[in-house]
Amino acid sequence: MWPTGGREAQQLRVDWQACDGHGLCAELLPEVVRLDEWGFPVVDRPVPAGLRRHARTAVSACPKLALRLQQR
Amino acid sequence: MSHLTIPAGQGPAGDTTHAEHSGTPYGDSARSSDVHVFEGPRLLRDLADGPGLGMHRRRAPRALAVPPRSQHVGALADLLEAVDLRGRGGAAFPLARKVRTATKAKGRPVVVVNAAEGEPASSKDSVLMLLKPHLVLDGAQAVAHALGASAVHVVVPGERPAVERAARTALAERADTGDITMTVHRAECRFVAGESSAVLELLAGRPNLPVTTQRPSAVSGLGGRPTVLSNAETFAQAALVVRDGVDAYCAAGTHAEPGTRLLTIDGDGERPTVLEVAHGTPLAPILAAVDADADTGLLLGGYHGTWLAGDVVAGLTVSATAITAAGAAIGAGVLLPLRAGACPVRRTAVIVGYLAGESANRCGPCRFGLPALAEALREVAFGTVSSTARLEQLATTVEGRGSCHHPDGTTRSIRSLLRVFPEEVDAHLSGSCAAGDLVGTRTLVAGTLVAGTLGTGTLVAGTLGTQTFDTRAFGIGTVGAGAMAGVR
Repeated sequence: MWPTGGREAQQLRVDWQACDGHGLCAELLPEVVRLDEWGFPVVDRPVPAGLRRHARTAVSACPKLALRLQQR
Repeated sequence: MSHLTIPAGQGPAGDTTHAEHSGTPYGDSARSSDVHVFEGPRLLRDLADGPGLGMHRRRAPRALAVPPRSQHVGALADLLEAVDLRGRGGAAFPLARKVRTATKAKGRPVVVVNAAEGEPASSKDSVLMLLKPHLVLDGAQAVAHALGASAVHVVVPGERPAVERAARTALAERADTGDITMTVHRAECRFVAGESSAVLELLAGRPNLPVTTQRPSAVSGLGGRPTVLSNAETFAQAALVVRDGVDAYCAAGTHAEPGTRLLTIDGDGERPTVLEVAHGTPLAPILAAVDADADTGLLLGGYHGTWLAGDVVAGLTVSATAITAAGAAIGAGVLLPLRAGACPVRRTAVIVGYLAGESANRCGPCRFGLPALAEALREVAFGTVSSTARLEQLATTVEGRGSCHHPDGTTRSIRSLLRVFPEEVDAHLSGSCAAGDLVGTRTLVAGTLVAGTLGTGTLVAGTLGTQTFDTRAFGIGTVGAGAMAGVR
């Protein structure tokens, strides 16, 4: 289990029309994001508090600005 | 029972926007431009009157000629809530809640009537717009007045030009809309064009395709304004509540689900039937009345629907609760019966193949996942694979991943096929078909879709629940020109 830091869990959301399957999110945040067989992100768990900084990096690194970090 | 003939022909102003559409799962037979319409108790009563405003007002003098502007929006929401009026486009969202949300949001509200069915198997909103457009517009106007809305937008299906013409004619007849502007908009000819976010995109001047929305449209919709968007039938039902009151509205249906509902029953290659039934009416006599054979099963809710086995269908009533308990959803009221001996695997493969072609190709998981799903299901149908593992894995992969519910709706029919018809699926996996329908399945691969053979076209008058249907033909005859179900 990742430390939660007692804060509310956040969730990565994908803007599916914007996403082009570049895959940087899965490179930067493999703990939360994996890629499907076509290279599009699969987000099947919330972002643990300890990885929040990495999640923000993934959001800002997305070449299509297709990621958002939202409160659950 | 009446018979509405809408001959194929030119679109409005000679504009035929049919070219890009990929066709329906029933191939040529779906060019059939006829729809059988049963006279109904409320929405579909007095069909012989025709769609004009004059008779509409004469029939109901207390109707909403000019609903009092002073009618408080809270009072309207109370009425809608008292009869638990839910959206009839598929999501079944309470209309009262949309209205209340729009009241609280910032900006002058907008009302959108969604008559763009998108789904070729659904005809009920087209029929309503062709035969009783003023009921729909009365409802929209009542909601708009109560909200103080500036505009009512009516969105019609691009592939059914007669509906657009009917809507324009009806709007031109209404001189009593006060400061509310009513306009007609033509949706594109594709399955996802009628999805609510796609409709708002169309109205905003962008491509008529679904988008990811951050907030409900009742909070922030068209141009950021609070937008009450609902299905055409929903507004017609709202008009009945406002005109007749809660008690009269609740005289039909059940205590938990008052009122009536429109259904479209697919004719499996023959012309579909649209009818109006009270909630709680048993399904079996309805199907019998239209000569539909659902012995094998029924795809309930349209192409995005859920398969139910024949024996389950036999005991079902038209009730959202009963249908939910059976593991399905009534959706927009589309019923696709599967005749005795027909093959559910093949039928689903045809539908999923069509739905894959209808992806807007904007969201990766849908763009790539749906064709892969269609292929995996074809492999099951042809028996070229020995398990459904790949199919199920793909279904899991695409679910919940897209701007709209097109991927989810597509997997719904596949999941229910595997759940309800395990024997038929196993037969295909071992290279046979319990229904002896492999020929049809093979034909599918060549891209030639073979129409089903159900439906003799012989229609009988029937008594459904407490409602006796009129058998006289009504004089509408040819309502304009345009292909009704001919989604080319």
